[in-house]
This record gives sequence, structure tokens and C-alpha cells, in this order.
Amino acid sequence: MGQAMSFGLTQYDVEELMEYCGGKFSQAEIEGLYKRFRSLDRGHKGYISAEEFMNIPELSINPLARRLERMFETVNFKDFVGILAAFSKRASRDDRVRFIFTVFDMDGDGHVGAEDLDLMLRQLAGQSLSEEDISTVVKKALQEASTPAAGLSYDDFKKLLQGSQLLMQVEVPSDT
Amino acid sequence: MVSSPRSSPGSDHQPSNGYPTRLSSARKLGSSLNLQDLEEATLKGKADGSGDHLQDLYVKAEQRRMSNSEELMPALLDISALLQDAAGAIVDDSFLRCFQSLSVDPWNWNLYLFPTWVVGVLLRYLILFPLRLLLLMGGFLIFFICFYTVHFVLKGFPQKRMECERRLVRFQCQIFVASWTGVIRYHGPRPVNRPNHVWVCNHTSMIDYIILTAYSPFCVIMQLHPGWVGFLQTQVLNCLGCLWFNRTEVKDRMLVMQRMKQHVANPNTTPLLIFPEGTCVNNEYTVMFKRGAFDLGATVCPVAIKYNKIFVDAFWNSRRQSFTNHILKLMTSWAVVCDVYFLEPQTQGPEERSDQFADRVQRLIAKRANLKIAPWDGYLKYYNLAAKHPDLIEKRRRILADRISAHLGSGASDISTLARDSQEAQ
Repeated sequence: MGQAMSFGLTQYDVEELMEYCGGKFSQAEIEGLYKRFRSLDRGHKGYISAEEFMNIPELSINPLARRLERMFETVNFKDFVGILAAFSKRASRDDRVRFIFTVFDMDGDGHVGAEDLDLMLRQLAGQSLSEEDISTVVKKALQEASTPAAGLSYDDFKKLLQGSQLLMQVEVPSDT
Repeated sequence: MVSSPRSSPGSDHQPSNGYPTRLSSARKLGSSLNLQDLEEATLKGKADGSGDHLQDLYVKAEQRRMSNSEELMPALLDISALLQDAAGAIVDDSFLRCFQSLSVDPWNWNLYLFPTWVVGVLLRYLILFPLRLLLLMGGFLIFFICFYTVHFVLKGFPQKRMECERRLVRFQCQIFVASWTGVIRYHGPRPVNRPNHVWVCNHTSMIDYIILTAYSPFCVIMQLHPGWVGFLQTQVLNCLGCLWFNRTEVKDRMLVMQRMKQHVANPNTTPLLIFPEGTCVNNEYTVMFKRGAFDLGATVCPVAIKYNKIFVDAFWNSRRQSFTNHILKLMTSWAVVCDVYFLEPQTQGPEERSDQFADRVQRLIAKRANLKIAPWDGYLKYYNLAAKHPDLIEKRRRILADRISAHLGSGASDISTLARDSQEAQ
């Protein structure tokens, strides 16, 4: 008659999730994430809707909120863990760069091209940059990095970010 | 730049209540923006609901984190700080925490505890609950008979009638408290009715009002509810001069403000109680105090209510639960235990703005009731922050734009500045 305090996650589930995210999260962190997922997912549908997502005030005022909303749109818990794995303290630099790359690669073709940059700039800078500025920035950036016509591949992307610190780490809340 | 993204775990304590003690904000924005900053900003004051202070805070944090890269492309691609913010908010945020109910911790783990637990459940549901329901219904019967008698018989003596009705409402509130076997300790002097005084209190559930009125009658400003609660509000509590409004209607709010002023100035009215948070919070946090009560120029008497969650969590999560279910939950629990503190009346200082005054009173209440202050406007439950305050996000974008255009050489950034200025002028 023990009570399921983990709301139904079995050890199998936890292990599967740990394996899925490449060991980036510990068991306690997965439980913490699950609790958070359940509290965001009103009515326990099994996924988080865009509206629920944007109801987090601190997130809704993030310039990248729309882009992230699309990445997290209707993900189930497994994907939720998978996406957030890049922010674990155990994630490698490669994981983080890969995440940033995915954010930039709007059309998902494996290359970050002029269009992707253009769209991202609009999200990042909003109306603070004029149309001209945006196209100038895109042109100049691509030129400077001597980008091929197809756009930046992941390896190019990684090289460009070599000098950056990439402070992407969040702590998962847990009760323990 | 960032050393440790953790706040010290020892700073807030309350080990037994089931809430994680650290607030998430500390982890956001690296360590550049943490709860202390947020609280500080709350203290600094806010201009419009959700406030400039938050904006400035984000601006500062953004500037601190600017990439120093020489080249344009890396500067453009390094969005790690924004992503970290976002992930931090997804994993945990200080707003939703204010409205988290306590998770029930069952104790029926073993062979001898289980029967004890079963006996307890049976006692609570089959004996206590019917008795309490009977008491409540009996109370209502007596109350309504007396109330309507008084209401019609004493029509010609408004002062006397009000006095009688006030007593009856107090009686009914005491019945309510008895129906959950309320164990309520009142601290501090009993409130007296004086003009130009207003009472403000942290808000956990509508039972706050019942608990306070059971001790000393108050009239209250509240959201109008549907159903039997609405009936009581409009039929009974109206006689005490209570004011009802719809929180999402701006027009209603203006009207309420006017009537509040009239009410407070009149010496013959029932003391006015205001819940400046405007929404129920889980009694672990306190969200932003709205200025209304502090704009009246009246003396503010702070009241702090702290519930003990040993038997039942008195937080009313109105989105998950109807008030009837909430009351039923309380009536099937062993007891509602709480402390009520009437604190020293406060007046606005000569140099103090009303929002600073509100924050000062909030800190007094938070300290007494051991609540953590969150900088958010509680109405965020009903609207989206970005939709309501597009300036917040735009200001952050502007900084990113500046950083990017700095790489374009002076000419281009001038253009963007010009474009912006003309936009602002519009």
C-alpha cells in the first residue's frame, strides 16, 4: 500500500530516460523534471501546449520564446528530457553547440543559411533593427565567416563558436 | 564571469512543508540576476503593474553578459545566455511556485498505521463531516431567518440594522470556522472601527475573510463569484457595504477605487479589508501588492495570516477547484490551524511613494507570516506577461540589436538608432 510519490515513473522508465538523454540527468533530476512537467501540463494530457508554455512569465519575455515554443511544442516527457539534456551540468560542449545549432537551423536542413540567420535575427532583435540592417548583418556575417552557399554546416558552426564560453547550465529543482 | 549559479541553500528554511527552498531565479541569467536582485528591484518600486524595475534588471543583466567577440558571426551565434534563461524558466520559475499546492504526504505505510489511518478517514468522513454539515446548515437556517427578519423589520433604522446584520454575519462566520474545527490564534490588538483606516492582508483562500470576520466584522473588496458564493456576496455581504468587481474589467476597477475612497472616509462604515495581492497565493510566497489600498491616503493596518498545513492545505487554487470543493476539503479534514497577526498600523511617509509604501507593508506581512516575496503581479495568472507588456521583450531585443549593430561600424548603427528614435516618436 505504498504511495507512488513518483507519480508512476518506474525504475525502468527512469533508466530508459537516463539512457535516452545519454546519462545527462541523474535519477533525482529526472524525478524533478517529471514533477515540473506534470505541473506545467495542466490536465495531464501527456504534453505541454504552447499556451501552457508561454504562461511561464519569465519565459514569455525571452526574445527567443517563440522559437523555443516551436521546439517544445507538444513534446512528451521523453523529448522534454532529451531537449533539456543540453543544459545539464554533465552535458559536453558539443551537446550545447548542437543545441544552439538546432535553434538556428530553423528549416531543419542541417545547414544554417542566410534564411535561417535572417529569421533568427528578427527574433533576437525584433523591430530594433530595420529590414536593411538585417540584410546587411546577414550578408556581412556570412561573408566574414566565408560561408558556402548552402550555409554553415555543423562543423563550421562549431568552429565559429570556439571562442565563446557557452554558459548553458541549469539546475533541476529536486526535493531532496 | 559566472562563478556559482546557486543561491545558498540555507537562506530560506522551512524544512517540513514540502516546498523546495531555493527559488529558481537565482539560477537564471547565470548568477547575474538572482532573487536578491529581484527583491531589491521590488523594493525600488514599480511604475506600472509589472514594472520598470524588472525591465532594468534584465537590461543590466543582458549588458553584463554581452559577448566580447571581435567578429560578427560568433557574436551573432552565441545565444547561450538567452537559452540558459529560457531553460531555467522551463525547469523552474518563481511565478508558478507561488500557486503550487502542497502535495499530500500520506502516512498509511504499514500494518498498524493503515488501520489507524482508515479509522481516521472513517471518523472524518462519516462522523465529523455529517456533524459539521449539520452545524453549518443549522447555522445558515438560523442566520437567514434572523437576517431577513432584521433586514425588513429594522428598515427604518439603518444604523441599528447594520449593527445587527454585522453581528449576524460574524455569527455565521463563526459557524463556518467551527465547521472546520478551526484552531485559530489571534495575536495583536482587536481592530476597531475608525474612519480613514484600511486593513490589508495576505491572501490564501476566501476563508481568510471568514476567519477575520469571525473575530471582528470586516467588509471586503472581492472578485464576484458565481453560484452560492455569489448569492451570499450580493444578498448578505452587500449590506455591510462590501464591494464586488470583476478583476479583468478596467472600468470596474476604477469604480471600486472611487467607492473605496468614499467608504474609508465615512466613519459609520464597517472596517474595510483589502487583499492587495488580488489573487490567492499558497501561503509560502507573497506576490506583488497592488497599490489601490495604499493610494487612499488612509492609515494601513497590516494583517498577516499564516496557515499551518499539518492537517490540510488552506490554499484555494481556484483554477483547479471550485470553492464548494475547497470548503468540503476543509470540512473533511481534522482541523484548520492558523495564526492571525494584527500588526502595527502604518502611515505613508512624506517622501514615500504609494508603491514603496505597499512594498514596505508587504515586507512587514511577509516577515511575520514567514513568506517569501516574489516580484510578480498575481494577475499574471489571468494574462500573458509578454502580451501585456511587449516593452519588456522589446527592451531586451534592443540591447541585442545594439550589440549586433556595433559590429556594422558606426554608420549602420546610427541608422538603426535613427530608425528607433523615429519609432519611439510615433
